[in-house]
Amino acid sequence: MSQQDEKNIKVLLAQFPLETHSRGMFTVAHMLRDAGMEIVLLGNATPQQIISAAADEDVDVVGISNYCGGHLLLGGDIINEAKQKGIKERTAFLMGGVLPPADMPRLKELGFDAIFEPGATQEEISSCIRELTKAKG
Amino acid sequence: MDEGKTTKQILEEELRGRKRIPFYNPEVLQKMRGEFEQWKNTTVREADRENWYVTPHTTLGSEIPRALLFTPLDNADLDYAEDIGFSGQEPFTRGVHPNMYRGRAFTMRQLSSAGSPEYVNGRIKFLLEHGATGVNLALDLATVQMFDSDEPEARGQVGTVGVPIDCVEDMEIIFKDVPIDKLSVSIVTHYPRNTAILFPMYLIMAERRGIPWDKLPGSVQNDFIMENVVRNACEYIPPKDCFKVQCDNIEFIRKEVPLWNYVTLNGYNLREMGTSGVTEMSIALANAIGILKELTGRGYDADWVAARLAFFWSPANDFFEEVARLRAIRRLWYRIMKYRFGAQNPRSMWMRCHVQTSGVSLRREEPYNNVIRSAYHALAAVLGGAQSMHVDGFDEAYRVPSEESSLLALRTQQIIEAETQVTQVVDPLGGSFYVEALTNEIERRILDEVDEIERMGGITEAVDTGWLHRKVTDFIRHEMRMVDNDDIKIAGYNYFPAPEHELPELKLQETSVEIEDQMKAKLQRIRQQRDNEKASSCLNALTQAAKRGDNVTYYCLDAARAGATEGEMRRAFTEAYGSWRPSIFV
Repeated sequence: MSQQDEKNIKVLLAQFPLETHSRGMFTVAHMLRDAGMEIVLLGNATPQQIISAAADEDVDVVGISNYCGGHLLLGGDIINEAKQKGIKERTAFLMGGVLPPADMPRLKELGFDAIFEPGATQEEISSCIRELTKAKG
Repeated sequence: MDEGKTTKQILEEELRGRKRIPFYNPEVLQKMRGEFEQWKNTTVREADRENWYVTPHTTLGSEIPRALLFTPLDNADLDYAEDIGFSGQEPFTRGVHPNMYRGRAFTMRQLSSAGSPEYVNGRIKFLLEHGATGVNLALDLATVQMFDSDEPEARGQVGTVGVPIDCVEDMEIIFKDVPIDKLSVSIVTHYPRNTAILFPMYLIMAERRGIPWDKLPGSVQNDFIMENVVRNACEYIPPKDCFKVQCDNIEFIRKEVPLWNYVTLNGYNLREMGTSGVTEMSIALANAIGILKELTGRGYDADWVAARLAFFWSPANDFFEEVARLRAIRRLWYRIMKYRFGAQNPRSMWMRCHVQTSGVSLRREEPYNNVIRSAYHALAAVLGGAQSMHVDGFDEAYRVPSEESSLLALRTQQIIEAETQVTQVVDPLGGSFYVEALTNEIERRILDEVDEIERMGGITEAVDTGWLHRKVTDFIRHEMRMVDNDDIKIAGYNYFPAPEHELPELKLQETSVEIEDQMKAKLQRIRQQRDNEKASSCLNALTQAAKRGDNVTYYCLDAARAGATEGEMRRAFTEAYGSWRPSIFV
């Protein structure tokens, strides 16, 4: 197991189709690459496109950066799509960005494994990903 | 103007040829040099002497080293008339108007919030009733990205961070009973393409209310850097075409809507995405130079073109740097217009600007700290001589500002304007040894970056090759590491962090699915009521005009009149220009 969790963790980073802000996504991409992970930077895409890319690339983690709202509706779409494609159980789903505090537990109820607020550190995000991928095998 | 020379070469030659009259008596400087050295070596602690220059690290900072003390020796060849002068006179370092805020306070232009067209109409009136003096219309994501509310990509995004506009009817609702002939209206269109699409809708709305276009004051953004670099999107058109649409809008607006500011070169969003205060300004200047070259190439006089050009800046944390930046860019813009483009009309030499306090500098932890941060940003902008301002809500890291935080932001402006009395004296920091030296240094650095861009072929090349994208991602990585290493200190986060991270009790806005449904129903009705053949022939004419290289804005006006929607016009553009992908460097 200890050998296993040092394997390259592959993370897909994406945003919803019309999101204009990208600083958060770029920042997290730098953080995770510096932490030794492999990054697939998908950018703007629909929930269907995101899940289809996640399946094709066989990623361990899907990270959504969100600034402009719509996260509950579109977050729900992502999880549903992942279940349909059969990748929900083996993939960790994360969301980060400007999210109202009250919506954070709601996103977890939808099926997201972790939610990050602005100001989350490299250490917080990367250790969370290591634990989640270990747990998901 | 010699095409073979860069702007920096032209300015250096012109300025070298001008006789300089020294402000400081050489004898005084000579004596001061000796005394300064003696003071430094005997009175200043060794540790301070060794660290005489300190490089400040702060969010969005330029990392320009600062001496412990500034003296006339830091600006020994100062020529008062050449470098500083009087307000309202060349070189405009001290301000574009002789009386500055005694003549007119900065326009208090708070963003108009999110929601349906009806709701935003109410918020605009609320802000005006509480003393706002201009309108600042924020658009929702679908509208900014030029999608109709009923396109699949718009799902969940209608009315969430601004107001949705699909067609002329929405403009009519948003501005109902708002005196648009008396009040300056800023439509935050961001991109050239959505300026070409949305501004004609605004004009048709005005026309239907019987207000002639030459009575309309206001501004659009219309900046191709926003469309090709700053935004993230699922589709782009090539930079050179987007630059051309930007210039078409300018030509159209300058001719048809003479009081309108046709471009607000947007340093703000680029800086907030991740650049220093120097790059923010060098990019806007390189774009402005590109615009003037293009429009003078179309046969227009540089003075006629530049008279309505405006800028948009982000004042952030490094207080004196922010003041100095506004002074530096005012002088540099004057020099560029005068020496590079031969301007005669003072108005076209004026660097007029709107500012918005820096949003990225605000934090999620202990959000009330943001009230203090924004107030300092705003004060720096006023001491720097800004024309118009939006102060961010303290809840920026949580939501679109609420009515409560919008009002507090407006009050911040009013307190600076009416209570602190800083507006009584023009350019109060002018003449400070420190601020003048910093102004010089910033002007030098901006001009050096403009030179670098011109040498690579100009602003569209800087975008097309990915040079600017790389610069931004490098900056983001650098800044992230500086925060992680505590080199950039943020109170309550990595500098004396609070032991408990408590979430404040903020009333959060609910996103409403109803707005999306209403907008969809409206679009359906409009498509039924309009003459569809007319609309599609106008859209086709737009595509053909774009392919031929004609001015596209006139064709957008025809299409909007025929009831064409925003998304339909976006697709007409894409059909003509094809698509482009920015290079991404992570």
